[in-house]
Amino acid sequence: MDPRRKRTRMLWEFVLPSVLADGASRAAEPPMDSDAFAGFYERSARPLWAYLVRVGGDPALADDLMQESYVRFLCAAWPESHQDEGEVAARRYLFRIATNLLRDHWRRPRAASIEDIPEEFLAAHVSSAQSDSQAILSPAMAQMSPRERQLLWLAHAEGYSHREIAEVTGLASASIRLLLFRARRKIARLLREPDLRTRSEP
Amino acid sequence: MTLRPCPCEKEVSELLARGQWPGNCVPELRAHVSGCRSCRDLVLLTETFRRARAEALGAARLASPGALWWKAQLRRRNAAVERVGKPILSAQIFALAINLCLVVGLLAWQARRGLGWLTWLEQLPQATTLHLGKLWPSALLNSGLSLTVLIPAAATLALLSGVVVYLASEKQ
Repeated sequence: MDPRRKRTRMLWEFVLPSVLADGASRAAEPPMDSDAFAGFYERSARPLWAYLVRVGGDPALADDLMQESYVRFLCAAWPESHQDEGEVAARRYLFRIATNLLRDHWRRPRAASIEDIPEEFLAAHVSSAQSDSQAILSPAMAQMSPRERQLLWLAHAEGYSHREIAEVTGLASASIRLLLFRARRKIARLLREPDLRTRSEP
Repeated sequence: MTLRPCPCEKEVSELLARGQWPGNCVPELRAHVSGCRSCRDLVLLTETFRRARAEALGAARLASPGALWWKAQLRRRNAAVERVGKPILSAQIFALAINLCLVVGLLAWQARRGLGWLTWLEQLPQATTLHLGKLWPSALLNSGLSLTVLIPAAATLALLSGVVVYLASEKQ
């Protein structure tokens, strides 16, 4: 190559740093292809929705956050340390994204008042609250803090270990043990004593 | 409040995880669970949460994975375009800065030579006919540089402004 042209090219590469090449390669290489994603989605979407709806307490919110979680999962740079662990790690990573989205949702100031919520939305809540387990668990869960709901669901519904819960929630493994112990005591008492369970919060 | 777990908790957890509680449980362990608060809580919670999970799995409303896939692709592509667009934005800012410098330089240069050429503004209301020649700055016309400086400078400004406007509109 002509040395002058080579010098000019190097200058352009300096002015437009590897952004062009980097951007193109990132756009071209998602963490999994379309078919692999469809399979992964089929296996992980329902547990993720269950987690979001039970912890967040709102099916519409669960729908939105689930979609956003998958889009972010596909857009995110997959951590290299997790690539060898396969689908189990991918699922944990997905739950972590969803947990962060829930946390962001709770931190956001509430702008809507009860009058702004359409009636059919409230009706959907009433109709979906008919199953036995929901009638038992929902009032008890409503009296737990969001963090406690997350820990309890991940430990007892998903069967995650303390280390896995720490990875999903971003808390220290030692804290998980203590928080989970307290949350378990509290919800067990609420589940055993219906009077406590149905008592509305101030 | 003690945090020491019951030694049987792990065994009970494993039975619950495998779905073998209480069917495949030895009577001694069952007797222990009925007397141990920690294990009793564990059984109660795990059974309640697993039932709630099974019900929620059936109630899930799933979007199409294809739509999510394409939405993610679109977002990735937009992010890539955004990354690529950053140097272009810098170039636009650079071009704008050059333009401003040229304008300021030209004004400063003219101010040093005296703002006499602005007198045409004062003479304008008295004039019956407008002569384009009067619009030329007198300081320029009197100097040796005159049009040889003004025209290239104006042309450069016009060209750079055009480039800036084009790039800005293209980005929008």
